[in-house]
Amino acid sequence: MTAARATAGHQLACLRLVRLYAASRRVLTCLLVLAACAVALRTALHWLPRSGIFAQQIPLTIEAGAAAVIGVTAASPFGDPERAAGRWLPYLRLAAAVALACAAFGALAAGSAAQHLDGGTLGLLRDLAGFTGIAFLTGAVLGGGLAWIGPLGYLAVTMPALSEHWTTPWLWPARPPHDHGAAICAGLVFAAGLAMVTVCGARAWFRR
Amino acid sequence: MTATVPAAPAAPAARARAHRVTLPGPARLLRLELRRSIMPWLAPLFAVLFWLVTYHPAMANQPLWNIRSGIVPSHTMLAFAPLLAGAAAWAGSRERRRSMADLVGMTALPRWAGQLAAWAATTCWAEAIYLAGVAAVFVVTAHEHAWGGPLWWPVAVGAAFVAASCALGFAAGTLLPSPFTPPLAAFVMFLALAGGAFAIQDNVRYAQIWPLNVQGPFPLDSYGIFYPYVPDLAIAQAVFLAGLSAAALGTLGLPAAAGGRWLRRAAAVVTAAGLAAAGTGVALAGTARLEAHGMVIPALHDAASDRAIAYTPVCSHAAVPVCVHPAYRAFLTDVTAAHGPALSQLAGLPGAPVRVTQVAVTSVKPDPSNGIAFGGPIVSGRPPVLYLPLAGSSLPGEGSTSAAEFTDFLRQLDGRWIISVVVGLSGQDSELGGAGGNVVPLASPRNAAQVAVVEGLANALGLTQPSARSAGKTPGSRMPVSGAGTSVNPPGNGTPSITNQVRAAAQRFASLPSGARHAWLITHLTALRAGRITLGEIP
Repeated sequence: MTAARATAGHQLACLRLVRLYAASRRVLTCLLVLAACAVALRTALHWLPRSGIFAQQIPLTIEAGAAAVIGVTAASPFGDPERAAGRWLPYLRLAAAVALACAAFGALAAGSAAQHLDGGTLGLLRDLAGFTGIAFLTGAVLGGGLAWIGPLGYLAVTMPALSEHWTTPWLWPARPPHDHGAAICAGLVFAAGLAMVTVCGARAWFRR
Repeated sequence: MTATVPAAPAAPAARARAHRVTLPGPARLLRLELRRSIMPWLAPLFAVLFWLVTYHPAMANQPLWNIRSGIVPSHTMLAFAPLLAGAAAWAGSRERRRSMADLVGMTALPRWAGQLAAWAATTCWAEAIYLAGVAAVFVVTAHEHAWGGPLWWPVAVGAAFVAASCALGFAAGTLLPSPFTPPLAAFVMFLALAGGAFAIQDNVRYAQIWPLNVQGPFPLDSYGIFYPYVPDLAIAQAVFLAGLSAAALGTLGLPAAAGGRWLRRAAAVVTAAGLAAAGTGVALAGTARLEAHGMVIPALHDAASDRAIAYTPVCSHAAVPVCVHPAYRAFLTDVTAAHGPALSQLAGLPGAPVRVTQVAVTSVKPDPSNGIAFGGPIVSGRPPVLYLPLAGSSLPGEGSTSAAEFTDFLRQLDGRWIISVVVGLSGQDSELGGAGGNVVPLASPRNAAQVAVVEGLANALGLTQPSARSAGKTPGSRMPVSGAGTSVNPPGNGTPSITNQVRAAAQRFASLPSGARHAWLITHLTALRAGRITLGEIP
């Protein structure tokens, strides 16, 4: 009886911790923005031509926007006190990062369902993972508040890469969706970003 | 008895303070904001972006001022504008982010003035980064001895776009302070740029205001060389961007916390004036029309832009000299090589061009999807001169175009047409040819001999069929001219017996030695042009 009550209490405490963590990172706002991105993608795909530069660039822009917003949620409003006292912080960071990345993929995949998405769902998964990894890496270096700079700066580089057919796999959006090199590069970036944000968090190295 | 006490030497810090120039209040505030801005930290990112997005593509092109001056603002701002909007939104939301809104709200300085100082600091850094990039490209171009000088209007539009991006982002960050505002401001700016590009490709009339649109559908190398750059569209864009900036910044002064009553009234006036200017810019852009040397807005047009720029052409020393604009001096050899074989076959014949002169364009017409079709070369004057436009052709070094591809492209594109003109087929085709149409007239008994002669000459010179030509690599946007009329009819067109006879005559003529062909043409060209030669009379 006592053990069961203790287990239940522990579970409640865990849930409360998760809820508080999610509230402090504005996860709900992030989910709303991701839903808005999905609506934007669906609207764009309805109007866009099925091929050509716009059919590639506008979905990519929406994916980069979704990744940027996920990166911003890595910012901690508490800083060092939370870092010193939060024993479960790395797990919470990992869980939140993975959950939001999955939510973004699910939302954008749902937004592009029954529409023609250039590159398909596989391309969406690769590009979104890469963008999200860049957002996490930027957040770990510049701080969560500036995590958006990475994916949106990378997006700016992909624009000429798409139009001028650059071939390096590190610019994965310019490669076909089944390209192994591009998938490996995007996966590596995502894994590195996830590891960084889990271990280090999105620490703000400078305050401006 | 008095004792003099020597004055104590001033401390170094005090001496430094005494020498420091005391700036007026706004300048001190701006200096503080410049030191606190995030932009210096982002400068390396912008430098890398500039190198990848602008410098690299600009340097991959030929050192022509019009190409480089067009690439710099359009490519740069495509990458910079969203990030600048995000960075400015970050700066605008600083007070709320640092929980200082109440603290600074009770200072003597009106909040609007403080916000304008923060925006000005962000914009100053952004302009400095942008102009440093422009300077880098222009200095390198000047060292490559490009003819003429930079086109400053596109650069000015880029600078206005920098200010507008910062103003819009700053207003978003100030009015909607949230951690999500900077990425959303950047994201919306990206989408707005993409939407503008989509609208302009969809031929939406007012979409010409899109700030990355340098000269409507004109390729970068097709203006600003023979005639001055037509700044009409750039002026409308600058008015639009200045209006947007004023409206966004004016909005910041409207809330009650921004300042006193008079300040808020001034902000309302600035906002209204900004909106009016932006609307005027859009309305002006809606009246833009395509003309030979650029996009003309009647209300803004200056007739001085229509006067040609004086220059001394650079000519080759071939039998038929080829003269190009000095800006195209590097391509003289390629152009001469492209047209030399056809011209040497025709040299000395009545009606054959005695000189080739490069011109800006012969004709332009709008195409769907914000496209443009340039007319091909024309032969006119006494003695006949071939006026050759190169606008719209991908020059050697542009993208992946090699000198050999450029030469082959020109040869295939214009070779047949030049021959057609000389043998008299152009009379029916010249209008279409001038407009850049790709028309294949049928061989009829009336012109069968002319078609056979042109076909024979084209075969001898290795000029391909028009269908093969259009299916092959055609660098550039210039349309093939109607010299295609000299080809043997495609299957299903015309009478098969005539087609076969024309083909046989063409093969006979092509197999002749070059000198024999030329001699026969000198003797029979007048009769051939008059339609008095039959297929059987072709040797």
